Amino acid sequence: MLFFGAIAAAVIGGWLYVKGLQKDLAVAKENMIKMEQAHEAQQKVIAQQRLDFETIVETNRKINETNKTLQEEFASLDNKFNKINSSGKKRDIGVLAVKRAPAIERIVNRGSKQAVRCVEVAMGDPLTEKEKNATKKSQINPICPDLVNPSYVNY
Amino acid sequence: MLTTSCSSIKPLEVLNLEVKREPLGLNSPDIAIFEDLKWFIINSKNSDEVFAKLEKEKMDPVLFGLTDDGYEALSKNFAQIRHYIQKQNLIIESYKKYYEPEIKSKIENTPANK
Repeated sequence: MLFFGAIAAAVIGGWLYVKGLQKDLAVAKENMIKMEQAHEAQQKVIAQQRLDFETIVETNRKINETNKTLQEEFASLDNKFNKINSSGKKRDIGVLAVKRAPAIERIVNRGSKQAVRCVEVAMGDPLTEKEKNATKKSQINPICPDLVNPSYVNY
Repeated sequence: MLTTSCSSIKPLEVLNLEVKREPLGLNSPDIAIFEDLKWFIINSKNSDEVFAKLEKEKMDPVLFGLTDDGYEALSKNFAQIRHYIQKQNLIIESYKKYYEPEIKSKIENTPANK
């Protein structure tokens, strides 16, 4: 009797042990699936981070390029006031204004209008067809051609 | 029996919660409408003529003056303000594209940001 009792206890114990293992296996499988999903999500995050990094680099490149263009534009404005003429002398707008007041007045008023137009466009005002299609020096806004005359190539 | 019926492996709990922020969606400010301004060039020789012209055109015979160097400085200052606007536009646009790529911006296609 005692012997059969021991056998029965061993069988029941073995059965419970196997059941426990099966349960563990099921949980382990479930965990594996969750880990795979988490891995996949992490891969997506890494891909997004890579994309973000590329966007940041590209944005910085664009900003640097714009800064460079604006610096060149500013240097060109400085040159306009202090241009060296054919006789090797520096252009002096003051001397010119004494000698040829009406002509300089016309130039200054035209320049003032062009400068205002540059600000309007910088604020988002759309370009006119004339501005878009200007390709010659005589047609452009010389204050900010990069901004107002996209078809113009400096020559 | 006690040791075999208690599982040693605990199920994982993964929580994913994503709540998207409402886009700010601000519009660009209106473009300023500038008033016309007229410059007068006045020097030691033409001052009488310029003031006579002002009176003839029913304007007050007074001018607010700048020297040639002052005019040059004003032009450069104006250019710097314009450049600042352009840079700010570009930065704002870059932020919008980065954080709200699905929203078409109003100023995206403006010449200042191409």
